[in-house]
Amino acid sequence: MAIKSILIIEDDRFIGEMYVRSLKKAGYDVDWMVDGNDGLIAARNKPYDVILLDVMLPERRGSEILQILRGGAQDLIPNSKVIVLTNFDQAEESRLAMEHNADGYLIKAEITPKKLISVIEKMDTGR
Amino acid sequence: MDNGYTKRQRERYVEVEKKSAEDEQLNRFWPHYRRKARFVVLLAQTLVCALIIAVIVIVYPTVPLEAWLLIAVITLIALASSIIAANVILRPLKDLSSALTHVAGEQSPLPPPNLNDSYYTRNQMRPLLKLIYDLAMAEGDGAAAKEDTASDAVSIDVKSELNHTQTGIVMLNPAGEIVYANKSAPVHIDANGKKTLELIFDVDPSIEDWLKERGEHDIHAEHSWRRIASKLTGEEGRRLYDVFVSYEKGSQAEAVISLFDRTDEYQPEDDDLDFIAFAAHELRGPITVIRGYLDTLNDELADKTDGDQRELFQRLIVSANRLSGYINNILNASRFDRRHLKIHMSELSIGDIYETIADDMQMRAVAQQRMLAVDLPDGLPTVAADLNSMSEVMANLIDNAIKYSNDGGTIEVTANVNGDFVEVTVTDHGIGMPANVIANLFHKFYRSHRSRETVAGTGIGLYISKAIVESNGGKINVKSVEGHGSSFTFSLPIYSTVANKLTAHGANNQDFVEHSSDGWIKNHGAFRG
Repeated sequence: MAIKSILIIEDDRFIGEMYVRSLKKAGYDVDWMVDGNDGLIAARNKPYDVILLDVMLPERRGSEILQILRGGAQDLIPNSKVIVLTNFDQAEESRLAMEHNADGYLIKAEITPKKLISVIEKMDTGR
Repeated sequence: MDNGYTKRQRERYVEVEKKSAEDEQLNRFWPHYRRKARFVVLLAQTLVCALIIAVIVIVYPTVPLEAWLLIAVITLIALASSIIAANVILRPLKDLSSALTHVAGEQSPLPPPNLNDSYYTRNQMRPLLKLIYDLAMAEGDGAAAKEDTASDAVSIDVKSELNHTQTGIVMLNPAGEIVYANKSAPVHIDANGKKTLELIFDVDPSIEDWLKERGEHDIHAEHSWRRIASKLTGEEGRRLYDVFVSYEKGSQAEAVISLFDRTDEYQPEDDDLDFIAFAAHELRGPITVIRGYLDTLNDELADKTDGDQRELFQRLIVSANRLSGYINNILNASRFDRRHLKIHMSELSIGDIYETIADDMQMRAVAQQRMLAVDLPDGLPTVAADLNSMSEVMANLIDNAIKYSNDGGTIEVTANVNGDFVEVTVTDHGIGMPANVIANLFHKFYRSHRSRETVAGTGIGLYISKAIVESNGGKINVKSVEGHGSSFTFSLPIYSTVANKLTAHGANNQDFVEHSSDGWIKNHGAFRG
């Protein structure tokens, strides 16, 4: 599948804008939601190819969003890849739970937009 | 005998007491009376039947056999119907006595009459039952108050006194519902008025599970939990309790829960741990943006900057990367200190580990005019290691070597097999250390007296590196000659030598590491220490 549309759920304005800028430059269609509720609604309303999900979000935590989307009996976003992007040092249990339901789990401070794009490209080629 | 009774007299007295106590039980009335009533009804019915038969025999001396059979059947029907009639007539009596038995608190095989049963409305009996229940409630309060005054010389209002204690007291009925909670108890009341205990059990079993188990197996049991929080970390009004539960099957308050508020004792430690995770989160935010845009600008401005400016960019990038690495060290050290450092072993080559940091390390070396010579032989066996944490160890050692060597110096990274381990050595030809420094080198915050003046650093890198290497089942050592440089060596177990243990224990370090690292790190699964 060719990855085209990307949803970013990120409350830090600088970080959000940085990803939006780089991903748009790289040719992706990007939507950006700032709070957890809007993020969840967006993820359910439109089939994105990739969802970049922060953990510490206002209104609704990333872990909760992921649980709703992927944790139930039915995968609500079967055609989307989810990459958790966080700077928060989560407890082991919650981190493993999120990793289980996500396709990637990355520390934001360790990932520059360039590296993020290469991660998405690797997903695209199915590697 | 001091009270003048002989032993025999006293025994008799006790016997009579016991007997009269039994006699006074309300639940004895109904079975006894029903037996008597049935007997009377049956006797009367039998008498009537006998009279009729006698009359028939006198009037018709030759009764045919068929008629006798008929008479027998009719007699049986008459007896049965009189029993049924007696039951119907006696039901109000049964219900009244059963209601009285229940309000008196005695054991009864009969369920207490339900006021909402239409039977009572139809028979105009409801007010009677209601009166019994109402009287019992009024009487119950009075009796309880009387009992209190009787048992204590000074009258004490237990409920209000319990509201003054710092200890939370909660009582649960057999259905697990809260029937009493004092003021200090962490109880949440929802919109429907339903009360629930506000405790987060992140350990097994939870209080509900434990009580459920008890209901099936025990009559009397006790259990305690330490350090149970009322709310999630970071939420306002979070308290930490030691919880004690005693369970007594059949009591009205089947479970009595005591909650000892130990927040003052547990909180400071907890705050420290949370503080580090939150501080790291805050620090990483700006670092994300700095690293991200530096990388972006470095690319976008590549053909607009001259050599000098490009070097400044490299220094910015290296510094930002270092900062990020230090934060990882702090987080790892905090995880390790609270026994929360978990590693996930997989089969890796030393090259795999170095690969993740290669670009960064080369850049750091170049930015500080060092030569980084990495020579990892191709034929090395794979090791069992955690990729993330081991690459942080390698980065720490190379970063140290860069820091403590001189401009233009060479840092060598080599690897070799030694027994069941692959050893990796990072050598610098820098300032080195005297022997007395080496002894303290892996302690937290320790730095050589000389280096303190010339180089910056947190002094946490070697401490956490040792912790990580040993968690991976390896060892870390240092050789150093003052003025000539140092060489740090860490070892990792060859994968094939531990593959069996890894698959047996799963790919985390719990049991595996305990056996292979002198027990330095114990059970990482337990959050509390």
